[in-house]
Formats: sequence, structure tokens, C-alpha cells
Amino acid sequence: MKLSYYPGCTLYTKAKPLNTSLHASFRAIGAELNELAHWYCCGTTFTLARDNRMSLIAPLRILAKAQGEDSMVLVPCSICYNTLKRANYILKQDPEVLDIINEHLEESYDGNEKVVHPLEFFRDNKELIKSKLKKNLNGIKLACYYGCLLLRPQKELQFDDPESPTIFEAFVNLIGATPVDFPLKVECCGSYLVVNSPDAAIEVVYKLLRNAQGNGAEAIVTSCPLCYYNLDALQNKIKKVHAEFKEIPIFYFSQILAIALGVEEKNLGLEQNKVSPVNILREYNLL
Amino acid sequence: MNKILEEKDFTRRIEEISDQKISDCYQCGRCTAGCPFAKFMDVPPNMVIRFIQLQLKDEVLAASGPWFCAACLVCQTRCPRGVDIPRLMEAVRVFHLRAKQGVIDVNNIDKEFMLDAPPLALMSAFSKYTY
Ligand code: SF4
Ligand code: SF4
Repeated sequence: MKLSYYPGCTLYTKAKPLNTSLHASFRAIGAELNELAHWYCCGTTFTLARDNRMSLIAPLRILAKAQGEDSMVLVPCSICYNTLKRANYILKQDPEVLDIINEHLEESYDGNEKVVHPLEFFRDNKELIKSKLKKNLNGIKLACYYGCLLLRPQKELQFDDPESPTIFEAFVNLIGATPVDFPLKVECCGSYLVVNSPDAAIEVVYKLLRNAQGNGAEAIVTSCPLCYYNLDALQNKIKKVHAEFKEIPIFYFSQILAIALGVEEKNLGLEQNKVSPVNILREYNLL
Repeated sequence: MNKILEEKDFTRRIEEISDQKISDCYQCGRCTAGCPFAKFMDVPPNMVIRFIQLQLKDEVLAASGPWFCAACLVCQTRCPRGVDIPRLMEAVRVFHLRAKQGVIDVNNIDKEFMLDAPPLALMSAFSKYTY
């Protein structure tokens, strides 16, 4: 099985572990991620100004490229997923906008490409995943952190219930870990405020991490490289403000999956985690 | 231009950029109640909207609210009137930025942080805070 794949810029730089562990996981289930031949940055954070059509150009070019290869494209980064899917929604709903942009580009796009997140793919291929599991995760307690961009706006993304989603927990359950109750799982991590108002980001992340820990989580899993960064890298700063705070490791969903599928350690990208997950993985006999 | 007209025009521009009808909001405050960043804002989301309704252009433009909005869309999910609040916040930001009043200077960002952060943190911030 070959699947069309759009990694996005961050998976080539700061989020390499997401890229490597996802590739390795798909290989382990007998599929191949077929990266689009030429791709560009999606533009990041979808524009909310209705009169800004420029920002639809990059997504349209990516979708046109993907359309040439397959009817669906897998997109693991939450920001790329949100941007491509929201742009796709407009291009599908508003033929006038689609025409205007198509007219100015060499490519031509018909609005019919499907943007799919790996968690949706796993939901639809449960038996396949189950049959390839090699390592018992022994019920390691994980908090599933959705953040914003996989879920909202629901009308356009149709990913899951925006207030109480379950797709991530079902995935974690499927691969042998235990999802803990995590009431703040859909709250924002501070996103790009980390650049300009780090104190605000630090405070919301602290609240999130405490909420996960208070419910017994031993680690947190996420799909977004920006959430990942805020949850992981800001812990150092949190410790300076809140002396009692204890670190908690953060994983990409693909790293946990790769472990369960028996992927060799060098393809897990664990050395890039700022908060080391080594202890918890050893405790569960996973390293 | 006459000040009253100019302020009317401001509210109309915000409605145009956001594609929202500002009078749809009935000021229940639910957006502010659920906003993770309301406590950092001098003027919280529902008040930004009230100021736009009242055509208080100067007050809207002086408010920090739109700059603390992370476009998380929680309020958009919960508004009982279907108001897309983050679009209104974006419209205010865009109004500033198109008038070339960006809020961050790339040269002032900590170099070490810049090298450490994922590019999409920086690109997202630049797209919201610079012109
Ligand atoms: S939730 Fe909606 S109706 Fe209520 S104050 Fe906010 S924008 Fe207005
Ligand atoms: S979208 Fe903006 S205003 Fe609305 S809840 Fe999120 S941060 Fe607050």
C-alpha cells in the first residue's frame, strides 16, 4: 500500500522525530509513505481574514500536486492539516474563489482532494494496526492532548467532537496504553504566543501539564509540533516559576505507535525530547 | 473625515474583513468565560466586540485583546449566536497591520529562542504580528 504524504517544513527540521517515527510505523504495518514530488510550505496558521485570497494559493498548489498522485493525502502536522483542510473547504464551497485562483496558476485544482490525518487513517484501519503490534505497552498511562487545530472549526474539519473528542484515546487504547481522563485536552497550548507573550504560554502550559499529572498521566501524547514544543520546551521555564513542578515527558503519537510496533530505537527520535522519556520507557520495559 | 463617519466606517471595515455581522453578538460573555487568554487581556473578547458594535475605533485599536488571541477557536465553537470571534480578532489585527503597525520586530527576538523554536512557531507569529 502506497499513501500520498505531505510532511510540511517542520517535520524536516524541528519535528524530525514525528517524520521518522511515522515513516517507520507505516513501514511496520506494510505501507509506504509516498512524499509528494515537490511541495511547499502550507503558509502556517490559516488566515481568518475573509478578504485574503493570497493565503489560499500555497494550499491550492499543494492540493493540486496531491491530486495528481492520489485522491487523498496524509498530513500529520496539526497546523498543516488545519490549513490545508480549511483552504480545501473554501475551494470546494466557493467555486468563484477556486476559479479566480486557478486562473492565476499553472496548476489547476478541482477541489476534490481529501486531506487525512494519520489518526483518522488508524481509526479506519484498526485491525491492520492490531495485527502488527509487537511490544506490549503494559498500559502506560498517557494523556491525549488534542489542542486546537485538529478539532476546530468542526464544521470544516469534521475530525471529531470539538469539546469531547475520543479518536486519540481510542488509538492509544488500541496500541495497548491507557488513556487517562484529561479535561483540558482541547484547550490551547499558547500556540504562537510563545514568540511574543511567553508568560501567557508558560502559564497555560503549566495548567495543562498539572491537569494531566493530576489525573495520573505518566506522559502526554500529541500530534502538533507547536504543541509539542510548548509542552516540552517550556517545562524548564515553568520550573523556575513553580518550584514544586515535576517534569513530564511528551511524545508524538507516532513515537508511541512506533514503540508498540517494535520499531528500532534509532528511528524513534527520542533524543530530541527535551524532557527525557527514557526513565518512564525503561520502567515499562520499552527500551 | 468627520470622526463619526470614520468610526462607522471602521466598524463596517471590520465586518467586511471578518465577514461577520457585529450586531449578532448579544453580549452573553461566553466567549470571554472560556478564553484561555482573557486574563492576560486588558479588554477581553466580548468587550472588544462591544467596542466594535459601539464604533469605538480608538478603544478597539488600543486594546491588547486581539494580540493575546491565539486563534484557538474555543469561543467560536461555543458562541450561542454563531459569531466567529477569532475572525473579528483577526480583522482588528489585520486592520493594524495593513496600516503598517506591526507589533513585533524580528530583530528583537531572542536569537537562542529563534534557533530552538520550530519554524512554524515563528511563521505563525510573523503572520499574525507583522506586515
Ligand atoms: S459568546 Fe457570542 S454572543 Fe456571547 S458575547 Fe461572545 S460573541 Fe457575543
Ligand atoms: S480564539 Fe482567541 S478570543 Fe477566542 S477563545 Fe481562543 S484565544 Fe480567546
